[in-house]
Amino acid sequence: MTTAAVGARRIDVGKLLPQLIAPVAALVIAAAISSIALLISDKDPLTAFQHMYEFGTQPDQKVEILNKASELYIAAVAVAFGFKMGLFNIGVEGQSKVAAFFAGALASASFMDWMPGGLRIVLIVVVAMIVGAAWASIAALLKTQRGVSEVISTLMLNAIGGLVVTWLLNDHWGVTEPGAQIKTTGILPEDSWMPGLPIVSGTEQKVLGFFAIAVVLGAAYWFVINRTRFGFDLRATGYNPFAAVASGVNAKRMVITAMLISGAVAGLVNLPRMLGESHTYTEGFGGIGFTGIAVALLGRNHPIGMALGAILWGFLASSQIILDLDGIPKEIILIMQGVTVLSVVIAYELAARIGRRAQQRRVGVATAAAAPAAAEVVEESK
Amino acid sequence: MKVLAAAAVAIVALGSMAACGDDKGDTPGTASSGATKKSVKVGLAFDIGGRGDKSFNDSAATGLDRVKSELNLEVKDLAAVAGESENDKYARLKLLCTTGYNPVIAVGFVYDGADAKNGPLARAAKDCPNTKFAIVDGGTTADNVADLVFAEEQGSFLVGAAAALKSKTGTVGFIGGCQVDLIKKFEAGFTAGAKAAKADVKVLTNYLSTPAEACKGFNDPAGGKTAATGMYDQKADIIYAAAGGSGTGVFEAAKAKNALAIGVDSDQYNTVTDASLKTVIMTSMLKRVDNAVFNFVKDFGEDKFKAGPTVFDLKTDGVGYSTSGGQVDDIKDKLDKFKADIVAGTITVPTK
Amino acid sequence: MTADPPAVELKGITKRFPGVVANSDVNLTVRKGTIHAIVGENGAGKSTLMKILYGMQPPDEGEILIEGNPVKFSSPQGAIGAGIGMVHQHFMLADNFTVTENVVLGAEKLHGIGTQAKAKITEISQRYGLGVEPDTLVEDLGVGDRQRVEILKVLYRGARILILDEPTAVLVPQEVDELFGNLRELIREGLTVLFISHKLDEVRGVADDITVIRRGTTVASVKPDQVTARQLATLMVGSELPSPEARESTVTDVPVLVVRGLTVRGPDGRPIVDDATFTIHKGEVVGIAGVEGNGQAELAEAIIGMRDSAGTVELDGVAIAGWDTRRRREAGLGYIPEDRHRQGLLLDAPLWENRILGHQTEPPNAKGFLINVGGARRDTTRIVAEYDVRTPSIDVAAVALSGGNQQKLIVGREMSHQPKVLIAAHPTRGVDVGAQAAIWDHIRNARIAGMGVLLISADLDELIGLSDALKVIYGGRLVADADPSTVTPEQLGVAMTGATGEETPS
Repeated sequence: MTTAAVGARRIDVGKLLPQLIAPVAALVIAAAISSIALLISDKDPLTAFQHMYEFGTQPDQKVEILNKASELYIAAVAVAFGFKMGLFNIGVEGQSKVAAFFAGALASASFMDWMPGGLRIVLIVVVAMIVGAAWASIAALLKTQRGVSEVISTLMLNAIGGLVVTWLLNDHWGVTEPGAQIKTTGILPEDSWMPGLPIVSGTEQKVLGFFAIAVVLGAAYWFVINRTRFGFDLRATGYNPFAAVASGVNAKRMVITAMLISGAVAGLVNLPRMLGESHTYTEGFGGIGFTGIAVALLGRNHPIGMALGAILWGFLASSQIILDLDGIPKEIILIMQGVTVLSVVIAYELAARIGRRAQQRRVGVATAAAAPAAAEVVEESK
Repeated sequence: MKVLAAAAVAIVALGSMAACGDDKGDTPGTASSGATKKSVKVGLAFDIGGRGDKSFNDSAATGLDRVKSELNLEVKDLAAVAGESENDKYARLKLLCTTGYNPVIAVGFVYDGADAKNGPLARAAKDCPNTKFAIVDGGTTADNVADLVFAEEQGSFLVGAAAALKSKTGTVGFIGGCQVDLIKKFEAGFTAGAKAAKADVKVLTNYLSTPAEACKGFNDPAGGKTAATGMYDQKADIIYAAAGGSGTGVFEAAKAKNALAIGVDSDQYNTVTDASLKTVIMTSMLKRVDNAVFNFVKDFGEDKFKAGPTVFDLKTDGVGYSTSGGQVDDIKDKLDKFKADIVAGTITVPTK
Repeated sequence: MTADPPAVELKGITKRFPGVVANSDVNLTVRKGTIHAIVGENGAGKSTLMKILYGMQPPDEGEILIEGNPVKFSSPQGAIGAGIGMVHQHFMLADNFTVTENVVLGAEKLHGIGTQAKAKITEISQRYGLGVEPDTLVEDLGVGDRQRVEILKVLYRGARILILDEPTAVLVPQEVDELFGNLRELIREGLTVLFISHKLDEVRGVADDITVIRRGTTVASVKPDQVTARQLATLMVGSELPSPEARESTVTDVPVLVVRGLTVRGPDGRPIVDDATFTIHKGEVVGIAGVEGNGQAELAEAIIGMRDSAGTVELDGVAIAGWDTRRRREAGLGYIPEDRHRQGLLLDAPLWENRILGHQTEPPNAKGFLINVGGARRDTTRIVAEYDVRTPSIDVAAVALSGGNQQKLIVGREMSHQPKVLIAAHPTRGVDVGAQAAIWDHIRNARIAGMGVLLISADLDELIGLSDALKVIYGGRLVADADPSTVTPEQLGVAMTGATGEETPS
């Protein structure tokens, strides 16, 4: 009985099904609550949703949704690397700012003029990852050496990082391009603008080139988490830190490694726009790191789930423009985003419990049926 | 449990973005007024803050409202969202031009983007070559884009002179909403004017925020009040509040300390909500964004669209000072003399 | 038997959880003024039955009669109102409160919180010979005293029928005797005691009647003087009871684990493990006996490398004291942790991932820096079969398994890497008799193959039965040695309380 069943089913439908229903249910709830808000403000929800859909499926908007999704996805992966082991890197925002700023400033510095464009892109990516990791390492060291909660320290470092960047940009390294008024780190030479991807038909617009890197990053994330020893240690720590330590995981080293990886990925967050849209670092950058937390929660730290979450979020964010044109309060979108995150988190939690209970029940049934047989075997062997 | 905590953090982050983004976004007056179709539809995209900031955006809104009522045109205004991308700004402008709005006005230099040659407005102007665009405070150059810029330093010079002339302590103050070049222009003009009127005057300066704090100092009355109270305690008796919505706090501090203040952008003697604060508003530096918007649309209707920069300065009454309340009547002659000198070019007002 | 109705009578009680029948057709008659023991394996349905009686769960079928009257409880309040009291296995006392404060907590309405309450407590204490001082702080009390406070709490609330859930699990033999004395005092005063246990000798010693539960139903009601412990056990398991004893010594003279001067300090600098020195030879099981909290857990954690410690540890001739846990495990230390949920398993992860845990770097789980999913899964399937882990699949989460099956998985996992030394902390705690026997067999077989074992257990029979040498730990020090072939549980119990071997109380 047992041997027949062992190893047969890798996918447990009973456990998986609630997990799949959960986000759908959460979305329905979010839509319902948003509808109530719309009705209160005397707008027809169906028209609003229809306009959102029509607008969002226009080729131009598809491009922007994928652009937004790319940066959100990178931020979500950065957060998820920490979440997987129960480490809360709330500092993706600050890490991404500091990283993009230094990478941008270095890449457009005059002594870099000799560098060919392709190499400069590589330089920007590498420097941003190193700086992001370095900024994150402060929080990691504070946690391992002084026991400071990473939630507090990363939040504080967001503020510090933002101010350091502002100071350097405004008072030292910032330049203003002719015709513009905002300070930048200098427009990159055109040969290091990352080419866009013509993957959406029906528009001249191209998806930011970093979209491809986000896809690769997602695959790498999956591989590291699920197929490497490090990923196992990371997950084990997230499941049960005590058992992980007993299994030989060095908790402090784990915190530092996870934080460095999270910070390095965070360093990439602003690069899609920097390399493909603004071609420089500006103070307009920011906000994605925080939203990445929501996307990681939406996607349950799963590479595919986060991708769907990022696309959903990108869709909602770009819909604000069309709602504004219809005279519908854009706050509806904020309500929808907030409610979606909350209901998804709650729905997943419920689904996990239901799934676990269902599984326990089935194991109970299966082993109860097997038990008398086993008992007889014991009797016979006597 | 920890997951819920993270959700809370994420949502708080969202909420704070919403709070500093747009709490007055909706405009019932302009919503779906498609009953009477007009030939010209005017589109306007606000900077972050939108309608109701009692300052810059509201000034643009006043101009748009005048377009609606006086020129009887269909208008539509869209607000920006905190944390949006340059592409979102581009999408907003493009949405306006592709849905038939012409002309389209972008309010605020954010629509230039970091690289004005490839910024949101430049791209939209390229995609809609037959639409005329205007940008307030901007610098985008294209055949179908007009740049409406202001000589804020000139207006600030006059109110700086007024402050120095009226000060009894010999100390005046400047409070800027955000530490950016645009506001530093106000400070430079104000200081130059004060020194020109009285060489030994002392000018205290303070900025309420930086861009890293999303320039929250433009809408932080409590911060304005604290900063102003500190300055009044340091013997300043007149403070110039170039800080948008935070000006209210400065006025309140002035009232409490029995001192005076100077408003900005609009004639704040008339726009201030609390009538008891009128007496402390000695004058206001006027930045006539409303005139600029109105005249741009008017000129467009009369086929007088002009690409490139149009400077609104003292000469064209694009900037100036207000006299409501009559508190600067006694020095009006001196101020008008300065004004004439600036217009004539005998005084060059610094911008930094 | 004639006029006096039974204190408790259960007729045809059935309780179904979705997919599983926890109790079916349970019949039980508890005579007034007796100690009635309910025995059964873990998971046999004792706890569910007691929850039903205490009003925590309603039965799906059947009838409960209290002193002849049918009752239906919707909450424990109802049960308390009917005179039923429950003494839980885990004490629910606030350490920094006095006895009086603990007792009146939640029952302030009965006698207030002042002198009246104190007088009542003193009265109960004297009447039943509990010897509880109302003004003592609970943190100053020993385990036995705390249990008496729990009993007093229940009596204070007017209980006439007491349910005691595994009351002896936390006690040393001397304390058990005292508890039984108290219980006899209670029934002398006309109270009724329901006593849940799986320690058969104790049950036979104290109970007036015994009811055996197996697989959710009552299989027999017997008098203690009419059955032997082995017969009782046979009733419980449905087959004959395995025992840890009877085997030949496999001890060699090759030391495999040498511990010298091992000292672990607590946060306050005081030693929790104090200068422990011992040697385990190949093929030898060294048992550590001690009342919980005397440093045995810390000793195990120090040897596996989870705690900073001073002193030397040599594994098969190699000094490993400076090594981290992973390196020690790779070098051949196996570890069955005391609390499997806390330290031994990833409850929400599937079984095959739990098989990797602790051996992330070793084949068949790893290939270089990668996890070998196929290898780990195949080997999990093997462990599930060889160690009789009852599960429908290796993809179910560990949390879905019963305690015994979880433990068999852990044992299988550790054994699969042929450890040189196995640190086994309470390897059969909370495990049913069948699984217990299997685990003992596995330890014994590995020992024959030359493995050394450090066995920490609270089950004195297990310690005596499995060990080749015994050491008693008290206050962090190894205070006495005992020979498992001659020592009795009682002698061991005395040593565990800190008295030295020679000064056995007469």
